[in-house]
Amino acid sequence: MSAPAQGFMVVSLLDEAISGLWRARRMTALSILLISFSLFLVGVFFLVAENLRSVTETVREETAVTVFLKADVTEAERAALEKLALESRLVAATRFVTPETARERFLTSWKSLATASATLPRNPFPASLELDLLPDAVGSRAISGFLDNLRAQRCAEDVQFDVEWIRRLRGVVAVVRAGGIGVGLLLALGAAFTIANVVRLTILLHRDEIEILRLVGAPEVLIRGPFVLGAVLQGLLGGLLALGFLWAAFEGLLRYVAATQNVLLGVFVVRFVAPEAMAVLVGGGVLAGLLGGAFGVRRKNLEG
Amino acid sequence: MIEFYSVAKEYHGRRVLKDVTFQVGRGEFVFLTGPSGAGKSTLLKMLFRAERPTSGQILVNGMNVGIMPHGRVPELRRSMGIVFQDYKLLPTRNVFENVSFVLKFLGVPMSERKRRAYQTLRLVELHHRLSALPEELSGGEQQRVALARALVNDPELLIADEPTGNLDHRLANEVMKLFAQINVRGTTVLVASHDMDLIRSSGRRCFTLDRGRVLEGLVEAALPPQAQGKRDLPVHEEL
Ligand SMILES: Nc1ncnc2c1ncn2[C@@H]1O[C@H](COP(=O)(O)OP(=O)(O)OP(=O)(O)O)[C@@H](O)[C@H]1O
Ligand SMILES: [Mg+2]
Repeated sequence: MSAPAQGFMVVSLLDEAISGLWRARRMTALSILLISFSLFLVGVFFLVAENLRSVTETVREETAVTVFLKADVTEAERAALEKLALESRLVAATRFVTPETARERFLTSWKSLATASATLPRNPFPASLELDLLPDAVGSRAISGFLDNLRAQRCAEDVQFDVEWIRRLRGVVAVVRAGGIGVGLLLALGAAFTIANVVRLTILLHRDEIEILRLVGAPEVLIRGPFVLGAVLQGLLGGLLALGFLWAAFEGLLRYVAATQNVLLGVFVVRFVAPEAMAVLVGGGVLAGLLGGAFGVRRKNLEG
Repeated sequence: MIEFYSVAKEYHGRRVLKDVTFQVGRGEFVFLTGPSGAGKSTLLKMLFRAERPTSGQILVNGMNVGIMPHGRVPELRRSMGIVFQDYKLLPTRNVFENVSFVLKFLGVPMSERKRRAYQTLRLVELHHRLSALPEELSGGEQQRVALARALVNDPELLIADEPTGNLDHRLANEVMKLFAQINVRGTTVLVASHDMDLIRSSGRRCFTLDRGRVLEGLVEAALPPQAQGKRDLPVHEEL
């Protein structure tokens, strides 16, 4: 076939696919909704994982050891604390954080909580001394003695060592993400299966027409192509719709957090899924469509 | 154009065609007749590989259609125009689409498709029903849509199975004129028909299917008495 004829073929294939979907619009809508629902659930996993990860990242950006200082701390006490830290051979650098800086940081990290903290009567964040640990210090035995030493200082209100719970949270993120991928794979397979069945049913319904198309010499691509393409389009629309639902749900949660000033939720609803995750959702829909479509037009279904 | 060599066809062990041998040359216009159930449709179907012969060889345009690869069948069918005994119109497409869609497979652009479909529908006097669905048409009108679809792609070979079965005399004669015109332009025409008068008055070559064999000429003895009784013209054994 010549090149223009082939270009023409693609156009008429798309044309046939779209009008085919339109003719069976109720079935089409149903299967698009089904796909989008599956992918939406996957998206929820992604969203949760993304936000848990963002929690671990903001914390990691902060320091491994934070010494919260009493309000009445003196310059000399603070200098002694810094000296103690640097002489421990565990600390790379120290940083003094004023209450104002602490608050600012908080606001940039948790935008959704801006209104909540703005209503507070006074700055609730204490001053602190942040200690960047040397790379090998984190796992070392000396660290617990060092922490006790810090806690013993009069000016230290509290000493926080974050490593353990960050590690745990990261574990949770990994589990959620793996769960999302696993559940996603299952749901996508389910969606593909549904599409394959819809295609098979449509073929059965139009068996007479397909026979006529064959008898007048329609090329096989034009007979099967529209079904496969239609399935891919359904998958694509399902993926986009899922993304839309996810975004709507996310926005809804943000508004809810802003309205209710729910602090706990505010910490965990911060970021929408990354572009890669969006691509995975839409691509997953397309792939499910392709798989289902290809499976639905197997020779076995088209004959007899 | 069409060559049958000792072709036999069985359906589930029941022999419909026994030993069919005949040839139709390029550019000929030939009728095929025979009593109902003689195997006319079966014979035609083997030409476009809707059925395969149980034994024997069938050549169409030099191609052995009984053994040609599956993938080449669509191409074979696109080179023909086929009028099916039961029309085989797409029920969800209107008259215009039913005629124009075959041009799609040939890569004819939209504007050209429109023009040719309209022209052909004019030939069968249906250009005023372009947007009607098949179910909204009479039997004869549906038959004419089927005719238009078979003619629209200017086929090398036109195969028509009872193309005038549902038409009145005037329309049947119009259709025959149409076939004659197409034949003059070089298309080989093969028409299966019961209509003795039509065959006789056309003065064309004819084959008669008789007990699984093909006889040259309009062999009236092979036909049921009612078909023979209908005639009031002298018999032409050989045309
Ligand atoms: N698919 C099939 N399976 C089994 N038997 C068939 C099949 N198609 C046709 N036959 C049988 O083959 C014989 C010939 O059928 P065919 O349709 O070719 O006859 P015909 O000459 O076209 O008849 P008519 O003039 O009524 O159209 C009939 O006895 C019919 O029952
Ligand atoms: Mg017949």
